[in-house]
Amino acid sequence: MAQQADVLTEAKLQKKKDRNNTRLTIAIFLLPAILTYLVFILYPIFDTFVISLYRWNGISPTRTFVGLDNYTTLLQESRFWFAFRNNMYVVLLSIFVQIPLGLVMALVLFSKIKGKKILNVLFFLPYLMSTVAVGLLWIFMYDPVNGPVNRLFNLFGMQSVHWLAGGTSSLIAILIVIAWQFAPFYMILFRAAMVGIPEEHYESAEIDGASETQKFFYITLPSIMPTIVSSSILAVVGSLKTFAIFYVMTGGGSGISTDILGTFMYRQAFINFNMGYSSAIAAIMFIVALISVIIIQLIDYRRRNK
Amino acid sequence: MRKGSKVFLSFVLSGSLLMGCGDEDANDTELIQPGDATDEVDDSAAPDTDIDTDTDTDTDTDTDSDEEIEISFWHFDPGERMDVYQEAINRFEEENQNITINMLQIPNDEYKQRVVVSMSGDDSPDLFASWGGGWLEEFVDSGQVMDLTDSDIDLDRFIDVALENSVFDDRVYGVPLGISVYNFFYNTEIFEEYGLEEPETYEDLLEIIDTLNDNDIYPIALANQPMWPGAFYMMYFADRVGGEDAFNDAWRREGGSWDDEAFVRAGELIQDLVERDAFNPGFNGLPYDAGSARQLIYSDQAAMMLMTGGFVNNVRDEYPEFEDKMGVFQFPALEEGEGDPSNLAAGVSPTWSVKEGTEHPEAVISFLNTLTDLETAQDYVNRSGNVVAIEGVDVEDPWVSIFTEWVNEANSIQFPYDQTLPPELAEVHLNTTYDLFGMSITPQEAAEAMEQRAQEIE
Repeated sequence: MAQQADVLTEAKLQKKKDRNNTRLTIAIFLLPAILTYLVFILYPIFDTFVISLYRWNGISPTRTFVGLDNYTTLLQESRFWFAFRNNMYVVLLSIFVQIPLGLVMALVLFSKIKGKKILNVLFFLPYLMSTVAVGLLWIFMYDPVNGPVNRLFNLFGMQSVHWLAGGTSSLIAILIVIAWQFAPFYMILFRAAMVGIPEEHYESAEIDGASETQKFFYITLPSIMPTIVSSSILAVVGSLKTFAIFYVMTGGGSGISTDILGTFMYRQAFINFNMGYSSAIAAIMFIVALISVIIIQLIDYRRRNK
Repeated sequence: MRKGSKVFLSFVLSGSLLMGCGDEDANDTELIQPGDATDEVDDSAAPDTDIDTDTDTDTDTDTDSDEEIEISFWHFDPGERMDVYQEAINRFEEENQNITINMLQIPNDEYKQRVVVSMSGDDSPDLFASWGGGWLEEFVDSGQVMDLTDSDIDLDRFIDVALENSVFDDRVYGVPLGISVYNFFYNTEIFEEYGLEEPETYEDLLEIIDTLNDNDIYPIALANQPMWPGAFYMMYFADRVGGEDAFNDAWRREGGSWDDEAFVRAGELIQDLVERDAFNPGFNGLPYDAGSARQLIYSDQAAMMLMTGGFVNNVRDEYPEFEDKMGVFQFPALEEGEGDPSNLAAGVSPTWSVKEGTEHPEAVISFLNTLTDLETAQDYVNRSGNVVAIEGVDVEDPWVSIFTEWVNEANSIQFPYDQTLPPELAEVHLNTTYDLFGMSITPQEAAEAMEQRAQEIE
């Protein structure tokens, strides 16, 4: 009896040892990733918050602690809210234009039409180009004198529009480019999700006499809901951090009419030498993005529990 | 338990999404750099660390001639100008076998940002180019730039007016190489076709504009999205209306202010030009570097452009045929104003400065002397299209000899506001001038906005 118990505990011990070994192996494998994450992601984020509490020009060896001054100034500055508003336009655009557009494109590719392969390439092409190239390309497209867009307008007897010169028109012009460039990204996500829907669902729906519209609303849409949620998260975060296309096409320009938080922050940091202040902008961008993601996650969590 | 881990997981997920944004931003900025710029950065970063380790073991590096020394050198000039620097480096390295110069060229628009970032870390260049003025002063005030007043450089061989651009509190913080003059370039063929002559007065210029407009040619090409091309008009008009003291008095706060008549009137003159359709349509949305304004000039769609001497370089690079029909004239005299018509607007570019606390001051100064000696200056003046800020050089290039004559005859030289003023005031200047061109602000409002910010900074 006693011997048996010993063997048992020994086996238990051995098992425990094995488990510890596995844990160690896992930890060692994770270490490089965790270290990279700590050093290059978490530490800079933390440091941004620290710098945002100082008045610092970014080059001087000394900096002055000013507490939350940068934040109070920032929240009172109209240019910040202006840039924030422009960012919100981009968020709205991504959610209400890009995602539906991506969905439509995915549906087109999923339907039984001819030339799907060509359409597939055509749809996806804009997303494959680098943002800077896209920006430069569209600067020429929008050229007030020789640009194809205005030539087309003239062809139909319409006046040329000075796209990138005016406040509202330059914002619209850039939003069009963003939608053009990023809708294909959502298309790919939706296509992948649609491929995963079992064919039997559609077959049984057909037997029950469901129309195409019904099939879409009762099968396709619910099945790809998780994808829509994660797309929304990507869209919101992506829109808040957008920078390159605005920087290339207008530099926040037409005065400040196309300023977004990214270009506003860039200017404060590298043109006006307000590193502390621009860190406060970065911190607020981070907080806003974090809150939006948490809200979307919560909504999704409740939806799933229903 | 499962719920908890789910919540945790979603938090991590959101975290990694946000972290993704950091990553992608970094990629995006890299994309902006054309070509090899990124690779070169890596090269230059590596030698810097070498320097650090060297000095840990050996402190008196400069006296020891066998010591391997590496010097990092940053500038923003492409093409021929960069070749001139490279040749100076080759000469210097031959004479000093133990010294290696690591040159890094960074495109103009990105250059400022790169220097700021490097200065806040420890990998700033030993020798770097700038435009002098308020931007350099910002680094001087932060104690990042070496005082060259008593160094082993003969300051007398530099042209005074250019050298003064990097003198702060009577101390010299940079030595100039080039001066870029701002003037009108025009298409002589178009002028001949419509019987036009180079304008002497502003009235003449207005007549030319009307004639060209009647013949469906855009009188003046302008790409004002980066805002500095339009700012040239503000500089010249303010000077022609109020003379060179208008700017100096307002900037130095010596009895002048930014809402003085000179600046308000300058704004009115700008808007008058816009209303006369003096410029190509949509000019406020055109980026200069992308070249659509130059394209209008090359393709005979527009007749004139107010630009820096760098335009000569662009022409030779992009459309050499145009040089045969190119002409130049100075900004015309304004009868109603008190400014001397010989007054020029010009920029100093580049000015060389040395980092404070560089590991090898003697080697860097010695290289700086090679970079500004007669041979380099001669090469530069022959090939760059710029006037050189060093005395005793023979000018052969036809355009540069015209520019040099203007500089020599100029009653005064106005350096660009956006490089002279402190960055925050410079930004207001650029934005308000841009808005004047866009007709979205009145001259009075622009001037007042400028004065208000100047008082805040004071």
